[in-house]
Amino acid sequence: MSERAQLPGDLSLSRGAPTRRWMPILAAGLSIGQYARSVLHRVAALTAVLLVAIWALDGQGYLWPAWAWLGLAVPVLLDYTAGWAWRQSPGAVRRVACVWALAGVAAVILLLTWMLTWLLAGVREFWPAWALFGLATAVSSYSLFALHDRVLLAYGRRALRARIDLLTRTRRQVIATQAAELRRIERDLHDGAQARLVALTLQLGRAEMRVAGQPDVRDLIHDAQREARHAIGELRDLARGIVPPLLADRGLVAAVESLAARYGLGTEIVAEAHRTLAPAVESTAYFVVAEALTNTAKHADATRSWIRLTHERRALLVLVGDDGGGGADAEGSGLAGLRARVEALDGHLSVSSPSGSGTVVEVSLPCG
Amino acid sequence: MRVVIAEDLALLREGLVALLRENDIEVVAQVEDGPSLLRAIAGHEPDLAIVDVRLPPSFSDEGILAAIEARRRQPDLGVLVLSQYVETAYASELIGENTAGIGYLLKERIGDVRAFLDALRRVAAGGTVLDRQVVTQLLAPRGGPTDALSRLTAREREVLELMAEGRSNTAIAESLVVTPGAVEKHITNIFAKLDLPACHDDHRRVLAVLAYLQVAS
Repeated sequence: MSERAQLPGDLSLSRGAPTRRWMPILAAGLSIGQYARSVLHRVAALTAVLLVAIWALDGQGYLWPAWAWLGLAVPVLLDYTAGWAWRQSPGAVRRVACVWALAGVAAVILLLTWMLTWLLAGVREFWPAWALFGLATAVSSYSLFALHDRVLLAYGRRALRARIDLLTRTRRQVIATQAAELRRIERDLHDGAQARLVALTLQLGRAEMRVAGQPDVRDLIHDAQREARHAIGELRDLARGIVPPLLADRGLVAAVESLAARYGLGTEIVAEAHRTLAPAVESTAYFVVAEALTNTAKHADATRSWIRLTHERRALLVLVGDDGGGGADAEGSGLAGLRARVEALDGHLSVSSPSGSGTVVEVSLPCG
Repeated sequence: MRVVIAEDLALLREGLVALLRENDIEVVAQVEDGPSLLRAIAGHEPDLAIVDVRLPPSFSDEGILAAIEARRRQPDLGVLVLSQYVETAYASELIGENTAGIGYLLKERIGDVRAFLDALRRVAAGGTVLDRQVVTQLLAPRGGPTDALSRLTAREREVLELMAEGRSNTAIAESLVVTPGAVEKHITNIFAKLDLPACHDDHRRVLAVLAYLQVAS
């Protein structure tokens, strides 16, 4: 709560920039508020002692300075209670705290007056008890009304947080399941449909060898084989689009190295990322690198390019940069499409491409 | 020729065994995973191992690792790796230091029985056979007008791809349905454009092309 304090009385040196503006006019390293308070406290204490001395010199008797103490205690008390109230969080809570502070001061005045009239003047009356009771009732009712919506809000906020937690958790599960499913589909395409088609071309090949003397049958078999080969090629492209085989087989670093080698840009690679990445993170990081390298090869006219895969505070950082012409349109390139994928993983994608000073694509993906 | 086959899909394995036996190639062992491949090679000392890339237990690059290990133990063993997809990284690793007796083909090439058996024999005899897709992949995204590869015509690229499979001029001509003379002309053009020393030996020609593509560096 202390960081919310804004009352001048609580401006202290440690609170940073806004306070420093006051520095030149501060005495002995105190803020204006602290200075005023220390003056107030000293004046009050001094006056109290002075009055006792006058009372003693005056021949003692009726302890009239007690009334002055009461008077002096009020501003000091107000100073403390107001300071406390102001430190409460802004809004309803602070309002209620202010009411409590004032009511507290009023209650103290009442109590002390009651005690002093009783002790010093011998007046024994019961009415202040009713006043105190009334005050307490009023303040309590006010607090209840003022904080009523706040209690509801706190409840609502708790429910909201629980909902966000649930959505975050289920989204993560859905993405993880989806990524695992895609890998399974990729594997199934290779080992299932594609393998069967390969077996089919093999059988057709064997059949072809046996009908060497029948050109019309051979042509038919040839056509069938061509169709099967096309189907195999389409399945392969489909599987590669889901997850490139090297990524599935050997992980992100190997896949990125192969990708960079294929572009022949002499890309410098620094990689810390290891195999234990979640499939969804791995695939997204891979497709970001692929897209960035494609852009570099196509548009950048770069002499150098580099890729860094590092871990920082439970996130995978992917950085792809080049020293080309820059000026890439972060929203227009294929990277905009990847942004959605990155954000679905609670990640962040940024593209920096000032004209003439290269392009840097930076992605952070939380993992674990 | 004595062959060991490592393929986990029974359908394909059996088809392959039948195909080889029909063509008088002896299949001495059929296995389903990497470790049994190494045992079979040690036990049978075959001329050639036909290996699927994705094998149990890991179902990732088990076949590549087993093939490399088998070659380390028996350097004169021919290894033909079959895969549903082509990865240039795997091609580079397979070729490694020792380019003799290595093949890396897409599985569907089995369908062209004659070319497949031809490739098998070349690998067993110490030749190098790389799928044309390896070349396609290496050529595909390279851009820029200064790139020598971009100066090749579509036809020349096709010839280059078939050359990587270690085919002879006659085989290339047959596959593209052109005359051997035309193929000869394309090859001369390719070597001139890529600034490679001309050579007529099919195997050395593959190596020159691969070295150019930085596969066998």
